Amino acid sequence: MSIVQTQGLSKTFRSGLIKKARVEALKDVSLSVEAGEIFGLLGPNGAGKTTFVKILLSIAHATTGEAQVFDHALGALSIRQKCGYLPENHRYPQFLTGLQTLLLFGNLHGLKGRALKQKAQALLERVGLKDWMNVKIKRYSKGMLQRLGMAQALLNDPELLFLDEPTDGVDPVGRKEIRDVLKDLKVQGATIFLNSHLLSEVELICDRVAILNKGQVLKVGTISEITAPQLEYEIQLEGTVTERLLAIIKSSVAETHADARVLRVTVPDKLVLNQILDSIRKEGILIESVMPRRATLEDYFIKVLQSGEGS
Amino acid sequence: MMVVTIREAILRGTLIFYFAVGNIIVAFVAFAIKASPDGSAVLVFGNSIPAKSLMGMSAADFLLIQLQRSSTSAIMFLGIFAVAGLIPSMLEKGTAELYLSKPLSRTSLFLSRSFGATIAIALNILYFALVIWALFGIKLGVWHSGFLLSCLMVAVAFVFYFSVVAFTSLLTRSQGFAIMLGFLFWFLSSALETRVLGLYKLWDNVIYHRTLDTLYYVTPQISGMLENATRLIGKNPFDRMLGPQATADFTIMPFIYSFLSASAIYALAARYFSKQDY
Repeated sequence: MSIVQTQGLSKTFRSGLIKKARVEALKDVSLSVEAGEIFGLLGPNGAGKTTFVKILLSIAHATTGEAQVFDHALGALSIRQKCGYLPENHRYPQFLTGLQTLLLFGNLHGLKGRALKQKAQALLERVGLKDWMNVKIKRYSKGMLQRLGMAQALLNDPELLFLDEPTDGVDPVGRKEIRDVLKDLKVQGATIFLNSHLLSEVELICDRVAILNKGQVLKVGTISEITAPQLEYEIQLEGTVTERLLAIIKSSVAETHADARVLRVTVPDKLVLNQILDSIRKEGILIESVMPRRATLEDYFIKVLQSGEGS
Repeated sequence: MMVVTIREAILRGTLIFYFAVGNIIVAFVAFAIKASPDGSAVLVFGNSIPAKSLMGMSAADFLLIQLQRSSTSAIMFLGIFAVAGLIPSMLEKGTAELYLSKPLSRTSLFLSRSFGATIAIALNILYFALVIWALFGIKLGVWHSGFLLSCLMVAVAFVFYFSVVAFTSLLTRSQGFAIMLGFLFWFLSSALETRVLGLYKLWDNVIYHRTLDTLYYVTPQISGMLENATRLIGKNPFDRMLGPQATADFTIMPFIYSFLSASAIYALAARYFSKQDY
């Protein structure tokens, strides 16, 4: 079941009083997010990731296109009732303490009284801010503010959680903790929509990802689809790669990269791989290992962006 | 949301500052006035004023009028300073997203923010009014209900006046600009109130005169409201020199016009807010 569905969503920003400059932040974006999954929206800075989320939450308005969240058209209050949101570069009133901040935003969710206070305290403990809950947030570090933002986003036990760069400024331990919180939420049945350019983070927790560049969706798929093993191998040698060997190999493979003792080849089929191995043996070089190479999400991401798709 | 706004205004400290300044004025009044031992005069810093008749009115009425007049502008200006930041602070990048992602319509968010701000100031004004009214009652034996009503009307005038500040806050997203434009409007309102004697004479043109008249009726009539609020205490003897218009009886019309124009401004502002991207 799709929790989020968009069809041809576009957003054009206009600025300037007389000569209006146009910036197309989103171009014909069609995506769906399934219930219970962790969905990652990837893209470089300025790709349109934040605009996309803001439109889903009615913080910004689409220029054209349609979208439904929980089967409701955008703008319905019931959508925001069920959503949590951690914006990028969020900013809280500096004169509040962490606890007061959660009480303030909890009130806006319609939560009140002792139940809200207990909830806020529990969340602050969960994100590791128990000892800081009564300290004014102007004293908080970037990482602590990010943790507070996570707690704020979880106040209403959201069914759908939007996180915009949630680990930005958080130390490695904090990142691990945030990942654990997200995994817990997934187990509890929440759907998580993650905006990030930290690909290693996304790779660790997302079920599916979409790559967005210059407002256009370039690719949607599961992590395993995107990083599926290709016919790419890394051959570890016990001798040095000779010029003659390199020339033989280059004549039969699509792509070669050689260090002194490591050969990386992309071959059309396994027969060619075996021919290469034979050639290596003929040169009297021992083969230590042959490993199929799985592309990382980062490899794929950079490749897609460099290929200029979507521009 | 209104309660949240009032709480935020308190936590910001600006409302506490406003409350403190108001209490200093109250303390000043408490220290300054007292009845003479025989009850025939009112002593202001020890200076005797005949209790019964001063420029055709009782000393207490005269003092209440002067006090209301002199403190109203200060109360309104300080009130604007105290709460003008509440709307721009909600619209700052990184904060607007947090508010707008909550299950509240933009109209109710804006209106409750605006009314929260105005109610905070209005309650302060009424508190000061009540204390000063009680002071005059206890110290001079004068329980002037007109003064209380007058202060209630000042509080209402503030609610209407704030519509202009709230709208400019939305447009400029800046506390500084909102305050400046709010003050500019105050002066414009004063100039429009006396347009026949002033602005009309700048250009003898019917269209220009009708434009000024239209502006007068479609914007909150700050000067008119405050002037009439004072009349609920009594007629200011100093106004006699300004002619019969200045000493007219109280009329509710400026409040009705201002209510209509403030409602229109709040509605327009809410509509504008609902269309904006943040």
